[in-house]
Amino acid sequence: MPGGFSQRRIRSGTVMDLVVATGLTKRYGGIVALSEAEFSARAGEVHALLGENGAGKSTFIQILSGAARHDGGSILVDGQDFRPANPDAAQARGIAAVFQELSLIPDLSVEQNIWFRREPRTLIGTVDRTALRRKTLELLHKYDFPAIRPDRELRRLTLAERQIVEVAKGLAKEPRVLILDEATSALPAREAEWLLKLTRRLAAEGRLVIFISHRMAEVRAIADRLTIFRNGRTVAAHDAGAVSDGEIVTQMIGRNLDRLYPERLPTATDRVALRVDGLSSGRLSGVGFSLREGEVLGVGGLQGHGQRELFQALFGAAKASGGIELWGKPASISNPRAALTGRDGIALVPEDRRGQGLLLTKSVRENLTLAVIKRFTDKGFLSARKEEALVKEMVNFLRIKTQTPEQLAGTLSGGNQQKVIFGKMLLTEARVLLLFDPTRGVDVGTKGEIFQLMRDLAAKGYAILFHSSDMPELVHVADRVMVMRNGRIAATLEGERISEEGILGAAMLESEAA
Amino acid sequence: MNAFLARNRLILLAYAGMVLLLVVTALFSPGFLSASNMRSTVVLAAFVGIVALGQTFVIVGGGIDLSVPWVLNSAAIIMALLCAGQDLPLIWVAPLVLAGGATIGLINGLGVAQFGVPPIIMTLATNVILQGLILVVTGGSPSPAAPSVIKFLSVGRIGGIPVIALIWLALTLIATLLLSKAAFGRHLYALGTSATVAEFSGVPTARTTVLTYVISGTTAALAGMLLTGYSGVAYLGMGDAYLFTSIAAVAIGGASILGGSGHYLGTVAGAMVLTILTGLLPALNLSSGALLVVYGAVILITVSLGSEAFAGLASTLRRSTRKT
Repeated sequence: MPGGFSQRRIRSGTVMDLVVATGLTKRYGGIVALSEAEFSARAGEVHALLGENGAGKSTFIQILSGAARHDGGSILVDGQDFRPANPDAAQARGIAAVFQELSLIPDLSVEQNIWFRREPRTLIGTVDRTALRRKTLELLHKYDFPAIRPDRELRRLTLAERQIVEVAKGLAKEPRVLILDEATSALPAREAEWLLKLTRRLAAEGRLVIFISHRMAEVRAIADRLTIFRNGRTVAAHDAGAVSDGEIVTQMIGRNLDRLYPERLPTATDRVALRVDGLSSGRLSGVGFSLREGEVLGVGGLQGHGQRELFQALFGAAKASGGIELWGKPASISNPRAALTGRDGIALVPEDRRGQGLLLTKSVRENLTLAVIKRFTDKGFLSARKEEALVKEMVNFLRIKTQTPEQLAGTLSGGNQQKVIFGKMLLTEARVLLLFDPTRGVDVGTKGEIFQLMRDLAAKGYAILFHSSDMPELVHVADRVMVMRNGRIAATLEGERISEEGILGAAMLESEAA
Repeated sequence: MNAFLARNRLILLAYAGMVLLLVVTALFSPGFLSASNMRSTVVLAAFVGIVALGQTFVIVGGGIDLSVPWVLNSAAIIMALLCAGQDLPLIWVAPLVLAGGATIGLINGLGVAQFGVPPIIMTLATNVILQGLILVVTGGSPSPAAPSVIKFLSVGRIGGIPVIALIWLALTLIATLLLSKAAFGRHLYALGTSATVAEFSGVPTARTTVLTYVISGTTAALAGMLLTGYSGVAYLGMGDAYLFTSIAAVAIGGASILGGSGHYLGTVAGAMVLTILTGLLPALNLSSGALLVVYGAVILITVSLGSEAFAGLASTLRRSTRKT
């Protein structure tokens, strides 16, 4: 009886609560996204909202930020009924959200984005550029933002920098309630640290911060209280100090998760699967290394030190010079098509799931088989039967939760979308896999499955190059970790030396001098 | 097949619209459903349909081909000039003209896929250049009459069925196989949905793009030759109407004008709808000016129906009506 339990708990301290949701229900067609969910949070606290992907967190914050409207139940803000018609109306009541799917305009500058539609005006109604610059600098200074030039075009910023601008845009609205949806997931360690500090400070100023993150350590570091959603319902609300990690995870996934990280058996052989020599592309300069059969080789370092360029160059998605050998033979990879050449090829699970990985408006089936159309083509004609067999194989193997293979990929949860991309690449049978931050924005349960899959594939002789923006993942899953700095490999850590301190040390030590 | 229909209900709508129009037209002009009138409607629709075949491929792939009017016109005039009213030269003229159309398509495709020229600019430019070249070639003088074989293909009948309807049927079959049963179709839908995702999935995006324009150039050239048979001669400006109708047929047929969805089976209905409309409006005693207005309105409405902006507007309307 989770409903009754949480209700009592939440109601008990609610007289002063700033945001109180009761019996909140939201349906999308036949799908119930929220079912009588409860939520209560007070001013001056950091309130973590936890749950797997598809638990209803996104729907809840969409309702709260005015992007969606609830079908049942009620929300009180300051004791007044709250049902905003649009995000502007929510902002008028002091609620602003920082989303994980970035809402910025690539062609506008940083400052134009931050004050978009709220630009300071001159007497004749044009944008007051001086005031715009001044207000931006004041804002960035006040909250101690990492250095970002206000006049820079958004498209020229890294993903992390854009995320920071998104935070600035939210803060510029001076909200009483700030929603941070996975805001740290795109940030490198130092910036993530800054954002956590900022979050605490906002709470100390008397604001309510609703904080969503899949990283337990962050939640632990800053949350005062937490509410856990599962399958659209509230399963529990706790004071953060009164509950263990294990209990939280159990309540999130509804069962015990033995271990997030699988056992790391030494499966690497002496056979070299991928040899890279003097690879240069953009800021990547002269990188060389070997990846062996059965090995998971981690790629770490501060964000923006050439990791993206390395993965794109190896996959043929960026122009590069230098030597690449696959299974002992020189390979010329000028485009992704030249990379995906079957068993001796090289496959990529890309950084941007929605922009590079999935056809959101096409079916799970079409997405899964897109890279292997040849495998079910018979004398020039597609064989629906053979395609179905391939799809079935992958859906079962990866346990993709889809009603039918005809379901549109865009309607799957984040974790299942990522599984579809994995499936698409596994069907190519390429045994060298490039995984760029494959667990970003993926729920805990699926994260565990992905790590297990990586180790299983390694045991089968796959060679895996693995980048993660979440350092503990590298530490716990990779056999070796290469740390990148300024487009080069600064260090390769093995055995005992693989630790967060070791990675961070190698990533930062000389970069100050450089 | 059920899945196909479920995901392409816009195509069903196009056919429903076609039937509705037929009924309405028959009410206003009772002779409309006669066999001879239906035959001429199908013949006229076939020209639109053949030009719109290539246009369908281009639009599904995320592009647009504005060069069809003068590819069509050039093909017609060059064919007429080279044949000089004789049938025999067709043996080499017809392949030459089709190859010429394909070459223009190749140039369009390479410009778009290799050099990154926006499709609108690229195809508009080839259209204008072709127009200029043809004016230079002909000096504005009319061309010889169409060869009789071409006349047979466009206005002749076999067992009461117009030959061109059979040609259209065969082309429809080929287009359907390409879209639904060949790797090329899969590549095309992926390309039109997201060029980046397609590229990252190993789809030969450049080759696929080029191929769509080559198909479009070829079908426009084919339509140009056949249309010469219908009108008896080739004349300047005979392709102009087909720019709008070819795009409109694709849009009415349920394709997203932004690419990634649609099917030639829908375009066939689109071509029929447009042609029936041209039959209906005179029956309503509307002028040809009014015809253009209705044409414009029909394409605007059908394209909006499929667009996201409209979906957003519709849900806003629903919300506001619910509240009041």
